[in-house]
Amino acid sequence: MRVLVIEDDEALNAQLAAFLREHDCVVDTAYDGEEGLFSACEYPIDVAVVDLGLPDLSGMDVIRRARAAGCRYPVLILTARGRWQDKVEGLEAGADDYLVKPFHPEELLARLKALVRRAGGWSDPVLACGPVRLDTSSGQCVVDGTPVELTAYEYRVLEHLMLHAGEVMSKTELSEHIYAEDDERDSNTIEVFIRRLRRKLDPHGRIKPIETLRGRGYRLALARER
Amino acid sequence: MNSLAARLLAAALLVLLVFVGLTGLSLEHAFHARALQAEQDKLKGLVYGLLGASDLVPGKGLTVNENELPDARLQRPDSGLYGLVLGSDGHVVWRSPSLLNTLPGAARPGVGDWRFQRVQGSAGPLFMLDFGIRWAGGGNKARRYTYVVASDTRDFDAQVNQFRLPLWLWLTGSAAALLLVQWLVLRWGLRPLRRLAGEMARIESGGQERIEARYPRELRALVDSLNALLRNERNQRSRYRQALADLAHSLKTPLAVIRGLAGERSVPREPRTQLGEQVARMNQIVDYQLARAATAGRRALTRPVAPLAAVQRLARALEKAYAGRALQFDIRVPASLRLRIDEGDLTELLGNLMDNAAKWARRQVRVTMAQTQQQVELSVEDDGPGFPVDAERLLARGARADSRREGQGIGLAMAADIARACDGSVTLGRSGELGGARATVTLPAA
Repeated sequence: MRVLVIEDDEALNAQLAAFLREHDCVVDTAYDGEEGLFSACEYPIDVAVVDLGLPDLSGMDVIRRARAAGCRYPVLILTARGRWQDKVEGLEAGADDYLVKPFHPEELLARLKALVRRAGGWSDPVLACGPVRLDTSSGQCVVDGTPVELTAYEYRVLEHLMLHAGEVMSKTELSEHIYAEDDERDSNTIEVFIRRLRRKLDPHGRIKPIETLRGRGYRLALARER
Repeated sequence: MNSLAARLLAAALLVLLVFVGLTGLSLEHAFHARALQAEQDKLKGLVYGLLGASDLVPGKGLTVNENELPDARLQRPDSGLYGLVLGSDGHVVWRSPSLLNTLPGAARPGVGDWRFQRVQGSAGPLFMLDFGIRWAGGGNKARRYTYVVASDTRDFDAQVNQFRLPLWLWLTGSAAALLLVQWLVLRWGLRPLRRLAGEMARIESGGQERIEARYPRELRALVDSLNALLRNERNQRSRYRQALADLAHSLKTPLAVIRGLAGERSVPREPRTQLGEQVARMNQIVDYQLARAATAGRRALTRPVAPLAAVQRLARALEKAYAGRALQFDIRVPASLRLRIDEGDLTELLGNLMDNAAKWARRQVRVTMAQTQQQVELSVEDDGPGFPVDAERLLARGARADSRREGQGIGLAMAADIARACDGSVTLGRSGELGGARATVTLPAA
């Protein structure tokens, strides 16, 4: 899950970024509206956190412009005052949820996950495709009732594929969503993760969870369940 | 006396009363003196007439020839006009046939003197004129006589009354006419003040922003100051709100950082929970006081707002924020309904109640507003589990923010505070139709 954090307070920004990274997110940070708007439009973001009280370009304007530029991903606004007028305006400007400062970082994470899930068409925190169950809140993966241990990167790849179950994901896209900008990227490692995932989820080769589309990428081949 | 018009009218009335009274009295007095003089002259004429009819007959003394009496009424008994001639020792020398009794006696005037007085006769008040004379003639020794003529005052009184009645009628009439004119002048003169009061009322009800009309020179300075005051008040309010927003932002962000630190695993468990609790306390105090300070409350200069728009905006926003839950908002608010409440206050009030309902509802939230004569009743209902038994205590005035646990109806307390600031109230109950919670706000009608 790739998160953009636009927050002008350096301490809070750094703290949020550290917390989110700790919880398997890829994080881009911006400290003012202009920079944030640039990141919002240029990077393959899954979800954005926008502070309303930015110094130059207000958070409200960043959201409006990003939406006008065609960004469809969900946005969560952070507001200092719990004023309903601010919340309503933010939601009308194109945000999808709000959180009032101060907040529990865990709650922020839960909201971000829920937003991303919702954007992928999921309503329940447990993503279910065929026999595979991925609990996005606890990070547990279960196949046919048997828990499966995944590494952090494997989890990120599976989560991304399941959130967009049925869609084709290129290697670049996958690596963009599981690696940060400055991480060392190698599309071959994606192949490695996919191979390991196939082995862990389907040790006996019965369910064939991930299909390879030559030259285009990967797709989760299991049907979504509610 | 608290009205300028009443004061001026009262002063005018007082002046008029004194003026008309004095005029009337002096006119009456002058007429009375004039009439009295005329009466005296008439009686004097009669005395001369009697003198003319008198003759001194040698041996018999003074006689009055009754065929030559100056007035026929002297002949007729009790006619109201009497003549009498007295001798020097006071005995009656002659009495007119009209005089049946005697006239009241009095000190006789000296020779050649007139005495005119009003006396009480046996048949009523009389004017009496005495004239002393020394009559010499026919070789006799001169004798002293007194001629007395009296006339009933009835004619005189009638005459005076005949003058007095129309006099006072006219004076009263003209006083009334003057008062009427004075009243019209006052109305005309004070009309700018009434117009100013009307404009102020419209400003108060939000119908206009400033005093627009042109006013007479005496009021212009006042109008300018009032407009400056209004402008200042508006600016001050927006500056105040801006300052609050800034304060909130600069306070809440560090709080968010501390809250984040409280979650760090490197911090031992004990200080971590304490840090978390203290941050929550600080946050609630700041929230509560900021919300209170930002509440405009019921005051002049708010224009009536249509709550339907605010309800719809909030419903759309909450539908989005609770998108995972597929909530249904059932809005039953007449489009024509108006509330006299600051728009920000209304949004906060509704936002807190609707959010609370949305949080607990299973599927449905219903917002109903209805106007009775004096007030508007606004209900937010849901189909959730309903309020806990002791929920009402959350609404208590001045319930300390820091005594509340997080998430435990701070929204309700804020809603109750706002309602109170707008002269309204919040009551909690159970929804009859939906089966969940029902919060009812009562606000004064616009």
